[in-house]
Amino acid sequence: MDYMKFFSKKGDVRIHFNIYDIILNFLILSIATFSSVKIIVWSFFEANWSVVSKNLALFTFGSYPYHDRWRPSIWIIYLLILCFFTIFNKETKKKRRPLVFAWGLFVPTGLFLVCGGLGKYPIPISYLGGLSLTIMLTSCSLLFSFPFGIFLALCRQSELFLVRNISKLYIDFMRSFPLITVLFFGQLLIPLFLPNGVEVNRVARAVFAFTIFLSAYIAEDFRCGLQSIPVSQIEAGKVLGFNDFQITSLIVLPQAFTIALPALTNQVIGLFQNTSLMSILGLAELLGISRSLLANPEFIGSYLEVYIWLGLIYWLFCTIIAMLGRYFEYQLDYDGNNR
Amino acid sequence: MTFMKNIINVVNLSKSYSAGIKALDDISLDVGKGEVLVVMGPSGSGKSTLIRTFNGLESFDTGYLEILGIRLDPNGDEKNIREIRKRVGMVFQQFNLFPHLSILENITLAPIKVQKRQKIEAQEHALSLLSNMGILSHANKYPSQLSGGEQQRVAIARSLALKPDLLLFDEPTSALDPERVNEVLDAMRDLAKKGMAMVVVTHEVGFAKEVADRVLFMDAGRVIEISKPNIFFQNAKEERSRRFLNQIIK
Repeated sequence: MDYMKFFSKKGDVRIHFNIYDIILNFLILSIATFSSVKIIVWSFFEANWSVVSKNLALFTFGSYPYHDRWRPSIWIIYLLILCFFTIFNKETKKKRRPLVFAWGLFVPTGLFLVCGGLGKYPIPISYLGGLSLTIMLTSCSLLFSFPFGIFLALCRQSELFLVRNISKLYIDFMRSFPLITVLFFGQLLIPLFLPNGVEVNRVARAVFAFTIFLSAYIAEDFRCGLQSIPVSQIEAGKVLGFNDFQITSLIVLPQAFTIALPALTNQVIGLFQNTSLMSILGLAELLGISRSLLANPEFIGSYLEVYIWLGLIYWLFCTIIAMLGRYFEYQLDYDGNNR
Repeated sequence: MTFMKNIINVVNLSKSYSAGIKALDDISLDVGKGEVLVVMGPSGSGKSTLIRTFNGLESFDTGYLEILGIRLDPNGDEKNIREIRKRVGMVFQQFNLFPHLSILENITLAPIKVQKRQKIEAQEHALSLLSNMGILSHANKYPSQLSGGEQQRVAIARSLALKPDLLLFDEPTSALDPERVNEVLDAMRDLAKKGMAMVVVTHEVGFAKEVADRVLFMDAGRVIEISKPNIFFQNAKEERSRRFLNQIIK
């Protein structure tokens, strides 16, 4: 087989079969057919999906108060609409402004709604569970770790010895821990450091732990972007009279962001999946809620159904994140590499 | 005070690298108002280093500069350098446009953010500059969509947008296709006719003959001679200049 032609985008596809190819194709096809028939038969006739269908609300909201479930519902619908409009938006720069604004309001709106805004009583955020908690953990951690990561990356490039090395030390230190230990630190050790009477809820502590961990990685992704900006760009900025802050914010960072974008998308997907680690530490996010469901005698033994369902949800959201990343790559593609 | 008439005074300027190599060796010169000075010399002779000291991109060890009446000493303070950069434009060999901004944004960014001019006024100014350069139709494109010659004309428009009193050109045509050189040189000729003071590092003999008021020839960080172009190209005073000219004019 002429692999180069087979894989090239525009070259004409010419496949010459020989006997080995035929055997290989037959093998692959039969395995694929066999397993898909198996899966279809299992999922339609053998599987007991009641564990999923009876608990859809639980998967989405966790133990959030019944009468207030419209709050996270609105928030999740808001997110899905935003994603839809962003991914399928073909507008020019100016018309994109409302979209950017809507994204900026996403986390504040969520916190306001979920914590009982517009209602009579505040609702503790720790009531949140399932998908809405997963989204809350992901979005809040991102909101904090992006600015902090960029700040770290800039400090790491600093000419000041102390600033540069403290940031270097922090990044290397954070990267040398497994995420789970940082999360443990957030859940178990932070309360010890706080003065008596001050209590920070578990969700905020988790967000804190994710933020300090993730920002080290985001800083390194940004460093890669920063280092690939040629000195001549900075010189051009100097010559036009920009000060250091303007050069960084108007010239260097936008270009660095474009270069770091594929790696950053990776981090976001990773974060979304890593929130499932919180189930070990007692938060009832998607995986946590599933584990508690499986412990319920009514649904005992439905492992496969629950985990396949879980896999589908994670797959759906990670695909959305990947599509968003690709959309931004396309929008920011000023060199025409992806067109 | 003859200094007041000159927009550039260079007095005993020297710079050496750590290996003891002299990049600039005791250079003194001046450029008058509206004058076009062309700087020539073999590569490594310090031409670029010299004009990069004029706006503080390059430091120097001894001597001093006066640009537009602003004095610059070794370890010159940031404030004076910023002041000079606001009034001195520079065009680079590799254009150095900002690839993430459209042509119009490239030109208006500094007037809006540095000079705090109105956006609409800055855009109108930018469009008139682009039309002078003959590239008005490219205003909303991105640098990567333009040819080298067009990009360089955008770079010239970008430095003109700040209404500078002096323009520095660092080999503006060296990175261009031979076919594209003239469109950039034409734009520079126009500027010279309008009385813009320019210091141009270039190898374009035709341009130097036609536009330069004086030609500065450098070698190994030293000024070999400063002459009128008709004298320099027909009958250079120094033997080193004649040897250089023999090499580049065949």
